[in-house]
Amino acid sequence: MVTTPVSDGTTAPGARKVLSLPATAVRSVRKSAASTPGRLFLMGVGLVVLALLTGVVGALSLQQKQTTIDNLVNHREPVAAASQQIYRSLSDADATAASAFLAGGTTPAELRDRYDLDIATAGANLAKAAADVSGVAEAETQVNELSQQLPVYTGLVETARAYNRQGYPAGAAYLREASGLMRAKLLPAAEELYEIDSARLADSQDTAGAVPWVALGLALVLLGALVAAQLYLTRRTNRLLNVGLVVATGAVAVALIWGSVALLVESSRVSDGREHGSGQVEVIVQARIVALKMRANETLTLVARGDGGEYEDEFEKQAKQITGSGSLLAQARGLAPNQETQNLLAAAQKNADDWLAAHKKIRQLDDGGSYQEAVALAITPDAKDSAAAMFTKLDDNLLKALRDARQKFAEETSGASKAMTGLTPGVGVLALLAAAGVTMGIRDRLQEYR
Amino acid sequence: MRAVRASLVFVVLLLAVTACAGGGRPVDLANVTSVQPPSPVGVEENPATSTTSAAPAPACDPKASLRPAATLPPPGQMPNPSTMQTILARGQLIAGVDQNTFLFGFRNPTTGALEGFDIDRVHEIAAAIFGDPNKVQFKVVTSATRIKALEEGQVDVVVRTMTATCDRWQQINFSAIYYTAGQRLLVDKASQVTSLDQLGGKKVCAAKGSTSIKTITANPAKLVPVQVDNWSDCLIMLQQGQVEAVSTDDTILAGMVAQDPNVKMVGPRFTEEPYGIGIPKANTDMVRFVNGVLAKSIADGSWAASYQNWLGRTGEQQPAPPTPVYQD
Repeated sequence: MVTTPVSDGTTAPGARKVLSLPATAVRSVRKSAASTPGRLFLMGVGLVVLALLTGVVGALSLQQKQTTIDNLVNHREPVAAASQQIYRSLSDADATAASAFLAGGTTPAELRDRYDLDIATAGANLAKAAADVSGVAEAETQVNELSQQLPVYTGLVETARAYNRQGYPAGAAYLREASGLMRAKLLPAAEELYEIDSARLADSQDTAGAVPWVALGLALVLLGALVAAQLYLTRRTNRLLNVGLVVATGAVAVALIWGSVALLVESSRVSDGREHGSGQVEVIVQARIVALKMRANETLTLVARGDGGEYEDEFEKQAKQITGSGSLLAQARGLAPNQETQNLLAAAQKNADDWLAAHKKIRQLDDGGSYQEAVALAITPDAKDSAAAMFTKLDDNLLKALRDARQKFAEETSGASKAMTGLTPGVGVLALLAAAGVTMGIRDRLQEYR
Repeated sequence: MRAVRASLVFVVLLLAVTACAGGGRPVDLANVTSVQPPSPVGVEENPATSTTSAAPAPACDPKASLRPAATLPPPGQMPNPSTMQTILARGQLIAGVDQNTFLFGFRNPTTGALEGFDIDRVHEIAAAIFGDPNKVQFKVVTSATRIKALEEGQVDVVVRTMTATCDRWQQINFSAIYYTAGQRLLVDKASQVTSLDQLGGKKVCAAKGSTSIKTITANPAKLVPVQVDNWSDCLIMLQQGQVEAVSTDDTILAGMVAQDPNVKMVGPRFTEEPYGIGIPKANTDMVRFVNGVLAKSIADGSWAASYQNWLGRTGEQQPAPPTPVYQD
């Protein structure tokens, strides 16, 4: 026979004890606060907890900031650079394929090499950019598009080559399809990816330059509480100084000053790196993208042979973006960090003007019926005043300026990281010191009541 | 008793194992189920039919052009004033041509020069005006833009596998007929199709603004017309399996067969497409002059040599040169 316990509706004694715990705690605290030693004890506990909390929050937020900054140099900026490299390589591959077609016959070796290098570069950088996009749905879409369409593009170009070698015009049709795919799908995806990556870089820079308000607030509250505690003690005990609390106050003050100075230096270097580094990079990249688009339009106008009015219209529009007052090159010059970069950009400006002059001549020749001369002026790489030569010089100078700006970014951002050297452990140690000071100071006073 | 316990342990173990195995699922990181194939720039499926046929052209004989003078003026000495004199003074003939239609007007990928049966006609006209067949500026026009190019005076002539029709006679003039083609069907070598009627609901390709696309759209079997900018775009869409067939003039199709032996022309000619050289409406003196050049070319055998050079390789039987018809 087993008897089952019947619930009598009343709470078990254990549970009752647990439920009454807060009330008991409040009662005992109120009882302690009624006496001076009790009050002192509570004050000590409060200050120690606050000091430790400030230390932990401060160290964590500083650690996070340090990680963000290091991440800028080691990760965010290289990824943005990789995605701009994808755009450049793809666009250059397209213009090179068109030039090779214009050149006629079997592809000249230098154009073939240039195309191959472009495709290899695009593929390698795409792999790097792809490794970074998980979680960013928009970027993932672009990488997906690029990874799926790049092999299709190269397949079409190779088919075009095979037909060209046999002397059949189907090659031109395959090349047109390839170029259409590039312009309609690959390049927009690459441009979008670059924009997303450079926005992510800018976001990270914002985070790196932001003030850690919670940690700063806690430190100020702690400092205020320490000062208040000392005023209270002085009034109660007629002793001017409490060594433990003075040490604690000193530790907090040192942490505050050190942290503020370091963070000021850090955020100013991050923003320098942004203005003259990554911001400058962005303008130069835009200029480079526009130049590449112009080059593609120039060659495609010749490929279309009289049926390419829309390409020429686009070229004219883009020419206004790249050179002249308020243009991308002028903007980039304004942001240049040093004389050397300024000179590079001035040279680029000159190259762009020379190119436009060459382009004008090409259009005159082509519109005047001298098609072969126009083609020669457009694609002969070793002719001194050919559009191909000018474009290559412009691109080289922009690339050099781009390297300078990236260098500037890396220097400033690493400098920002160095400004924070030792700060994280320092803040932790100072917080422990403050906690120890409070403990000692309050214990000394409490002992007088024994 | 022991056997029962042992089997109980076994059952428990079995349950444990299956429970573990059933917990995970394979994760697919990329799941691609469909691919959009690349398509030629400007391709349109089932294009809206043009509603410009508000006033149907009056019945006419599209093959009848203007009678030429008995003799051509000697090269370099054009009557003044005349369209030919303007061209002579300019220094070159501006000709609207195609660079994508093998055998008629195409860019030789090896030399970059334009060549073909149509291009030969252009050189003949240039030779008659200048005494130099190479005083030509070629301007590529598509099927859809060739009439506009003539109307706007961008080109002096259009020689581009262009069918003379009464509709077009309203806008431009045509020379005498220099070749008569007919619409046929091009399919993959393995295909069983032999006529347009068998292609109901299937995609059939032709160029924008051509007479062929109109024939395809008008077919009662409800084909799906796919129109492109250039004829060679049709060939690559057929190769890529994006269209079931290409239907246009047998001469253009012959150029495609010459580039890819895995496609074949099937069925009989089901239209007649007389090719004329397009000339702006106002330049009737030029029409008569060009007709004189054509008559000379046919008479002295250059027409036949040109045919043999380009179209001889298609294996079709060489037709007799067309007999010009004049409306006077």
